[in-house]
Amino acid sequence: MNFEWTEEQRAFRDTLRAFLKAELPDDWESIAHHGPGSAEITRFSRRFCGRLAEAGMLFPHWPVEMGGQGLDAWYQTILAEEMWAAGEPRGAQYMNVNWIGPTIMRYGSEEQKEKLLPPIVAGNAIWCQGFSEPDAGSDLASLRTRATLEDGKYRINGQKIWTSYAGLADNCFLLTRTSDDRKRGITILIVPMDTPGITVRQIPSIIGEGDIHEVFFDDVVVPEGARFGEEGQAWEIISYSLRNERLGIPRYHLARATLDRAVGLLKANGRWEGEAVKIVAALAAALCETARNDCYAIVEKRVQDLPIGAEASSARYNVVLAERAVAEFVVEYVPQALIDAEPYLKMHHQRGIVAGIASGAAEIQLNIIATEVLELPREPR
Amino acid sequence: MELSISEDQRQILDALDGLAKPYASVPIHDISFALTSDALDAELAGNGFLDVAAMDDLGPETAAMVVERLARLPFAVETAATALVRPLLDPELPRPLCLVEDGAQGNAVRFLKPGATVVVVGAGGVRSFTASEAHIATAHDESIFAYPMAVLKALPAETEMRAYDVPAAQVLTQWRIGLAAEASGLLAAALAATVTYVSERKQFGRPIATFQALRHRLAEAQVVSNGCYWMTMKAAVSGDAGDAALAALHAQEAARRVTYDYHQFLGAMGMTLEHPLHLWTYRLKALIGELGGRGAQGLAAAEAIWG
Ligand SMILES: Cc1cc2nc3c(=O)[nH]c(=O)nc-3n(C[C@H](O)[C@H](O)[C@H](O)COP(=O)(O)OP(=O)(O)OC[C@H]3O[C@@H](n4cnc5c(N)ncnc54)[C@H](O)[C@@H]3O)c2cc1C
Repeated sequence: MNFEWTEEQRAFRDTLRAFLKAELPDDWESIAHHGPGSAEITRFSRRFCGRLAEAGMLFPHWPVEMGGQGLDAWYQTILAEEMWAAGEPRGAQYMNVNWIGPTIMRYGSEEQKEKLLPPIVAGNAIWCQGFSEPDAGSDLASLRTRATLEDGKYRINGQKIWTSYAGLADNCFLLTRTSDDRKRGITILIVPMDTPGITVRQIPSIIGEGDIHEVFFDDVVVPEGARFGEEGQAWEIISYSLRNERLGIPRYHLARATLDRAVGLLKANGRWEGEAVKIVAALAAALCETARNDCYAIVEKRVQDLPIGAEASSARYNVVLAERAVAEFVVEYVPQALIDAEPYLKMHHQRGIVAGIASGAAEIQLNIIATEVLELPREPR
Repeated sequence: MELSISEDQRQILDALDGLAKPYASVPIHDISFALTSDALDAELAGNGFLDVAAMDDLGPETAAMVVERLARLPFAVETAATALVRPLLDPELPRPLCLVEDGAQGNAVRFLKPGATVVVVGAGGVRSFTASEAHIATAHDESIFAYPMAVLKALPAETEMRAYDVPAAQVLTQWRIGLAAEASGLLAAALAATVTYVSERKQFGRPIATFQALRHRLAEAQVVSNGCYWMTMKAAVSGDAGDAALAALHAQEAARRVTYDYHQFLGAMGMTLEHPLHLWTYRLKALIGELGGRGAQGLAAAEAIWG
């Protein structure tokens, strides 16, 4: 075993840091705390991701035949860590390079590839992911937004909710129901967000501006060519896509950076005194590091091309514990930082609470661990 | 980064599993607070499994793996101090090794008995002595903590102890790694025993494992226990004081979180000596209080990380 980065990996991280230092404006942290879906970051990301692309660092982990450098999942992890800990200047576009682009390359028609990939590769494409609905959250397969094929066109009616980035997105990766078969009746449509009949309402939130929306589809009509894959193939496709996204965002990295900053503030203010604060900080650090190790164990499996199972849920749950411990530490020992001049801590605090809900709630992870890791007999349905 | 185990390590663990197989379950008539086996102890020592830390290409990480594996057995064997601390001092020191901190008089010490080597660590440096009746209050072959234990009554005079030219901090680091490794194995075995029981036991016409109240707490236990393993490995590889303190802290925190639940989930069966659960959980309880408990580990970690 070896927990050290190689020289090449360290150099890669240094290059990214230097790039961030050069590209991020001085007041970046006060922009970043608005949230990755905010108008400010979205605007910024279109320029920033273009620069990343020029520097060859937008998708270095894509295979060479797709225009990437074929670097392994460790590099993707380093890239994600540095970006996320910097407040995610890629905004919504991290999704493009993590799974939307690779999914288009794998399942898209030639026409879709020609049309949809160039803006992603140029670092100038905002996507949103239309999965969840008011009555289909954890139980995603119960979704009801209907798409009906009539005269070579799909007519869409229904509603999505919690859709990140919807307000400024160019396209929606939309899950629709085309038949009553629970999972095999779901079909993906790629829908331009300026199609008539789409209404977007931003939902005011405690997690940052521009993050979550309701999206209404009233007789929205798209050509049959908007279908992505075959009818009923959505579940298979998103299972593939999300396999690349199993761990999601490297939240442990920002959590740990936030904890270090919080301790730095306490020290600077002469409040790093007494035992309680140190013990609580250490408990939070332990959770950040255990979450990190769990995630790294999975990255290693990806690098070695080994199957990844429910241990990803275990890692994700650990990340939730880490996020929570750091957020609680800040609230208890440096609360003033959240309302005063520390946008970095505020940014973490706003984003951290999302860990246990977005892309699969914590309790759903526990269900998966119980059934697939511990192999407990299943709950009755 | 390279998180898989080497071929050499795999072979060692396979051999260890072979050796340990006859000891994997509790002998039917051996109902007791603690389970020990002189034969197992002798086989382990005789085959060099506890000396891997000093070997080329194996090192402390392999020692930690060995300790973790052996802790999964229902038998309590002194492995951690021998495998991780003894190589720093003198590979010939007689076993069992008992680790105590300065000022430990009055403390309950695992494996303490006449003839044991007691290693004293603290501000006074690192010293050792051979325990005799004079140092021990009463030896308990089976203490409630599922280890053989005794209270250390007195330390010999400094002049009667052998001193080592090794920084106390380094010994503490290896001690913490050993503690975390042992806890990792105990946590894994206690969880497995609980999972087996709740999967078989039926109430209300279904296995009690199908009730979400139990499923979620067991799943959380899996998360913190698995985390322990990786923290231990990282600390064993790096030998870093901060990593070791975090690993021990996390181990003690995990042990505290799960032990009570496991007995709870076994109902009255969890109160018996007939079910072996206590052989892992009560050893975990002993580890919860070692080295000053979570508070002391937390302070050590904070000091190492943030100064
Ligand atoms: C910041 C943010 C961004 C998001 N972005 C998007 C996006 O871009 N696109 C998109 O499609 N969706 C998005 N989501 C939605 C997200 O995927 C859902 O919130 C998530 O799947 C949970 O669904 P829900 O909110 O309806 O909660 P519910 O499913 O109603 O769950 C509520 C609570 O009940 C628990 N629960 C539910 N079922 C079970 C069960 N079987 N056993 C035990 N407990 C259970 C949950 O764990 C949770 O604690 C986003 C969410 C957030 C918070």
